Amino acid sequence: MSVSDAAGLAETLEDRPPATRMAIAVLALVGLLVASYLSMYKLGMLGVIQCQIGSCETVQASAYSYFLGLPVAYYGVGAYAAILAVALAGVQPRFARERWVALALFGLSLVGVLFSAYLTYLEAAVIHAWCQWCVISAVLITLIFLLSLPGLRQAR
Amino acid sequence: MRKERSGRRLPAASRGGYCCAIPRPRAPDGAPPPHPEESVPRPAPQPRRSSLLPFYVILGVVALGGAFVLFRQQGGGGKAANTLTPVTLTPAQLQSVPGISKGRADAPVQILEFADFQCPGCRQFALFSEPLVQEWIDNGTVRFTWYEFPLTQIHKNAVLTARGGRCANEQNKFWEYHEATFAHQAEWSEADDAAKMLGEYAAGAGLDRAAFDACLLSDKYQKEVSDSYQLGVNLGVEGTPTLIVNNKRVERTPSTRADWQALIEAETRSAPVTAPSLDGASGPVPVAPAPAADSAAP
Repeated sequence: MSVSDAAGLAETLEDRPPATRMAIAVLALVGLLVASYLSMYKLGMLGVIQCQIGSCETVQASAYSYFLGLPVAYYGVGAYAAILAVALAGVQPRFARERWVALALFGLSLVGVLFSAYLTYLEAAVIHAWCQWCVISAVLITLIFLLSLPGLRQAR
Repeated sequence: MRKERSGRRLPAASRGGYCCAIPRPRAPDGAPPPHPEESVPRPAPQPRRSSLLPFYVILGVVALGGAFVLFRQQGGGGKAANTLTPVTLTPAQLQSVPGISKGRADAPVQILEFADFQCPGCRQFALFSEPLVQEWIDNGTVRFTWYEFPLTQIHKNAVLTARGGRCANEQNKFWEYHEATFAHQAEWSEADDAAKMLGEYAAGAGLDRAAFDACLLSDKYQKEVSDSYQLGVNLGVEGTPTLIVNNKRVERTPSTRADWQALIEAETRSAPVTAPSLDGASGPVPVAPAPAADSAAP
């Protein structure tokens, strides 16, 4: 989605319940589930990790699955939960026009995209293995970031 | 709809509705909000609740579906809520492939663990959950036996570390090796020189390094580890760690002391006092090391 597309979308959606926020909420919920799954694996609650594509165990067992001493999946749970909470607030008529909602969604998803980009770089260049759940998460956070852009324009 | 945009930024009109709902008089504002689009005929505003309802339904379905999938995955293999599954396990099968045990041979609760040194869940279990069962091992209630279940398709150093365990057992230091190897899992998991690292951990855990290295850098115990894996397959082990308690597969691996207590109490209540000794004949260390290897221990 280009910026002009996003702007067009923003105008289209302006007078309706913010569909971008709803989409963000659903995507964040899916991301929360994916991150929870990986966290449960890290907690030892799953025997083996389901992985149809790629080599999840290789990625999950690597030292890079930790960041500042915590599994990266935990950060995912926190970030997606925060985005979900803000997006849910953002669909409420009370907060729909609030500037902080748009800014928070933009800020959280920007950090998420940058962190995902770093993790994806590690998968590609350092670990040389792909983890389907990590790739799904990277796609989700990128979509959330793009969907946060129209709201940003609207809030100005 | 588009032509009505001009009113959207008026706070009094827009708060409480997405845009163009009927403006409600608001006490603090005093003056009624302007209505620039009053003359334009417009569709009746939709009730707010109904416009959000499909969204909440979708969100709820995704949440419930996801939670259901996660719940089924828990404990591995997507088994039903039943916590124990009987397995066909004969003393003869266990005699054919000795594991590595601690605890009284005739303990009423016989716990078998099928595990892989390179599996993160096994590391979690070994470092945080299994130490909690030690008190029942010490008082003679539990005998705990390790069986290798190396997942070779996904873990490049699984067999090496499994064989290393058997090598450490030659020196009666399997559990020291077990702890050190799991503690350093992240370092050696993908390493190409894992054998060297294992030697260092073994030396750090008080093993005779020369003897350990000589054993590790051979194909010694290849057969035992392979047999142990095959035993696990025969018993229906699908993932690691899998526990088998008195011939029943535990679907949810204990993680707290209370979990262990419930599991052990259920067994001590149901098991007869004269529980069969599954491998009592082999002594405290069922993988009987050659006497020569024993003497190499410090």
